[in-house]
Amino acid sequence: MKKLFLACALFVGLAAASLALAQVQGTPADYQDPGLFKNLILGFTVALGWQNLMYCFIGVFLGTMIGVLPGIGPVATIAMLLPITFNLPPIPALIMLAGIYYGASYGGSTTAILVNLPGESSSVVTCIDGYQMGRQGRAGPALAIAAIGSFFAGTVGTILIALFGPPLAELAFEFGAAEYFSMMVLGLVAACVLASGSLIKAIAMIILGLLLGLVGTDVNSGMARYSFGISELTDGIGFISVALGMFGFAEIIGNLEQKQSNADESQISKVHSLMPTRDDIMRSIGPILRGTAIGTVFGILPGSHTVIAAFSSYTLEKKISKTPERFGKGAIEGVAGPESANNAAAQTCFIPLLTLGIPTGAVMALMVGAMTIQGIAPGPQVMTQKPDLFWGMIASMWIGNGMLVILNLPLIGLWVKFLTIPYRLLYPGICLFCCIGAYSLNNSPMEVYLAAGFGLFGYYAVKWGCEPAPLLLGFVLGPLMEENLRRALLISRGDVSIFVTRPISAGMLLVSAFLLFLVLLPFIRKKREEVLKEEVV
Amino acid sequence: MAVKIKSKKDFNAGLMFIVFGLIFALGALNYPMGSALRMGPAYFPSVLGWMLVILGVIIASWGLMHEGDAPKKTGWRGLSWILGSVVVFGFLVGPLNGGLVAACVAIVMLSAYGGWEFTWKEAIISSIVLTVSSVGLFYYGLGLPFRIFPWSY
Repeated sequence: MKKLFLACALFVGLAAASLALAQVQGTPADYQDPGLFKNLILGFTVALGWQNLMYCFIGVFLGTMIGVLPGIGPVATIAMLLPITFNLPPIPALIMLAGIYYGASYGGSTTAILVNLPGESSSVVTCIDGYQMGRQGRAGPALAIAAIGSFFAGTVGTILIALFGPPLAELAFEFGAAEYFSMMVLGLVAACVLASGSLIKAIAMIILGLLLGLVGTDVNSGMARYSFGISELTDGIGFISVALGMFGFAEIIGNLEQKQSNADESQISKVHSLMPTRDDIMRSIGPILRGTAIGTVFGILPGSHTVIAAFSSYTLEKKISKTPERFGKGAIEGVAGPESANNAAAQTCFIPLLTLGIPTGAVMALMVGAMTIQGIAPGPQVMTQKPDLFWGMIASMWIGNGMLVILNLPLIGLWVKFLTIPYRLLYPGICLFCCIGAYSLNNSPMEVYLAAGFGLFGYYAVKWGCEPAPLLLGFVLGPLMEENLRRALLISRGDVSIFVTRPISAGMLLVSAFLLFLVLLPFIRKKREEVLKEEVV
Repeated sequence: MAVKIKSKKDFNAGLMFIVFGLIFALGALNYPMGSALRMGPAYFPSVLGWMLVILGVIIASWGLMHEGDAPKKTGWRGLSWILGSVVVFGFLVGPLNGGLVAACVAIVMLSAYGGWEFTWKEAIISSIVLTVSSVGLFYYGLGLPFRIFPWSY
């Protein structure tokens, strides 16, 4: 366990060192940052517009709803709802999609505490102590602490984006093709290392994703690759079809097979009073702070951030607790820490996306797709060319986090009602919305067939122990990587050494190699498997 | 001598990666390779394709040598009805021109039948509710260009 933390700390340190190195090289002169204060004012003016406020609300509401409903995750939901955002202007569209994501990471805790069902994978840990608290008639305080912890973590996450966004974006302006290519390699390697499950399978899934992303017309030669004579395929495979197939249909088929039903009324813990006791609050302060710190770090790193953040926080709290025997029997620390961690991670994972234009996980990969549909190329230029979008999104995240607390504690009753909807009534509707979503991407049935195909593929991939998230990440990065590789080699006149002679690029490749090497060491590999498989007993 | 597959899960996964890798690597033969200086359309995919084949071989041979748990049995009922309903939806809104209403009813009924506690009454009611609400939301509300009935235009 400790070794993994060491590895991560090392990784962060090295990344920071290479960033600092780049900082010395200077910043571009043509962009003047108006200062944090003015930026935030701009952000809040945008986010408090009635339309943006409304879509922020819709986003967090939907997000909480799907967080509560087991069997549908944020990836499938965002993919499903993308067609709704086609007709919207970019700002409300992205605000809503972001809201769905962090809303879901919040909503998952409700089911975890009340019925021992993790609505989202990030809430698996919350089940352990949260449900026990529920059994002891203390569901209310557990929910309240989860809400407070999440809000605090969300606030810190938002502040961090506002603070570190501009310098990171300025740094990214310095990046050439070689740096971008190496950064993507680093991102993908780190995503594998921090993914759950087998490392080599995760790498294979990423490569397969990169390859699938290349299907379609090659921008340089105009040649249609791997289209097999199907005209729709010359435009490439729609990322919505991939996401819906692998995270929507494959998941539904898996659930049907396990005959996973939703809760009936008797299983749901009753909520008596929401007020935590003084003792609860005192016990939770430490875990919330530590959870937030862990969450922010894992959020920035690629991989399945929220899940790993929550697991790490739980393990840490248990390890440093003076009374570890209380864990698993309703310790409030086991709710406060992980819930803060997963919410902090859900915020800070926007940092690489908004500043560098690099997605670090499946949901962020979808956000790239959503931005592209809106005609925005993700990257550092978003902040300089569309400051209203960048700062508006940041401000809306904070507002959204506030809405979650204010709305959800009183709405607990409503969420409990949702929980009692049997799965058999739910999934045909999910299938239908997924199909409509896939169809409306290009108004072509081809995307629907592709989604079915990816459903089949995703079903067997999961059965054979391959995670779908790395594939989606690779899929979005495929064309970008090829383009940057091509450009870098053009600049260097075909000399591959460009990747190691430029210091930042070399640094990032070094870190990637080091990370891979580290995980391949038998002793660390064992630890990694322990950590990632750990059912936190 | 017959080789015994010790972990079917890994072996199958490896095989799958080999097949996909070969499709991309061999498919790249149809496109110009170019050079490192001017990468052709085949350059990147063939490098990645062969990498995938190698990884697939490693994973598959790992599955031959190391004991592992067998993959869970395929749930054919859910698999066939869900994917079938999706394809039927595609045909109805696409080449068959059946209209959105028919497609909605079809996918809800067919996918519901794939579950383990199907009842006609529930399926019919939910197909009506879902059809009405999705036509209302997507066609009238959001103005997505759907044909509602085969005869409408």
